[in-house]
Amino acid sequence: MIAQLRVDDRLIHGQVALVWTKELDTPGIVVANDNAASNEMVQMTLKMATPTGKKLLIRSVDDAIKVFNNPKGKGMRMFALTNNVTDALKIAQNVSDIDGINVANVGRFADKSEGETHQVGSTLMLSDKELAALKELTKLDIPVFQQVVPSNPKSSIASMLKNK
Amino acid sequence: MNKILIASHGHLASGVQSSLEILTGMGNKVTVIDAYVDDHDYVPDIKKFIDELDGQTGIIFTDLFGGSVNQKVMLEVADHENVFVITGTNLPIVLSVVLEGEEITKAKLEELIAASQVQLVEEPKDDTDLSDDSFLE
Repeated sequence: MIAQLRVDDRLIHGQVALVWTKELDTPGIVVANDNAASNEMVQMTLKMATPTGKKLLIRSVDDAIKVFNNPKGKGMRMFALTNNVTDALKIAQNVSDIDGINVANVGRFADKSEGETHQVGSTLMLSDKELAALKELTKLDIPVFQQVVPSNPKSSIASMLKNK
Repeated sequence: MNKILIASHGHLASGVQSSLEILTGMGNKVTVIDAYVDDHDYVPDIKKFIDELDGQTGIIFTDLFGGSVNQKVMLEVADHENVFVITGTNLPIVLSVVLEGEEITKAKLEELIAASQVQLVEEPKDDTDLSDDSFLE
């Protein structure tokens, strides 16, 4: 089961490695990202960021969905990461056992040349496509929220999207 | 929550606090002293931190062994067995102590310090990829 699906364009980094894996008590981390799954340098940096004692799996989004739906993983608390909302939506639409989706950090450092972006809260900067995916995400029957670090309050994405 | 003071020459202490806030949102859990950035006498600030512990365990991080900040801290800490002083402070050790849920003991501190050393970064040798099955075991 997925204890939390986090959308974070830095994938595994300080906030995630140090704080969230402890908070969520998840022995397994799954990075669902097509680029990472095919890029050995990215894999190396993700392995370096993984805390001691935690298992890491790096898979394309489609292969990660197979892992999440594998009956062997039913009792295992997994921490799933994508770096964009579109990938998270695909996982949410194809995996039934997700406790919550945390849309934490997206697009703030992305190339701004590709058209207009939409600011949602202080840590989300979304393209048209990502904004549409986020709206779809909130229609599913899963809690969708933003909480950058555990000491922050959980903010509902649906209420952040009002008037967008 | 363990009570923590970071004291440094210049803005290292508040700089560590800033990193701590970004990484964990817990920057407000530490007290900081940036010594010598102005004429402020920081010794009373050290005293105040120790007094407010009221016998509880406290941890003071300093920047440099033998440096004047560390010296002033050692003078104030004398006879206070509830206060640990750590020097040569880096971000990993501060993070480890801040994130440690249990009350700090000497043995625990030694363990955290051993895991927080500066290191030469090399590519991980263990490059084995887990299969789906071994991950899910």
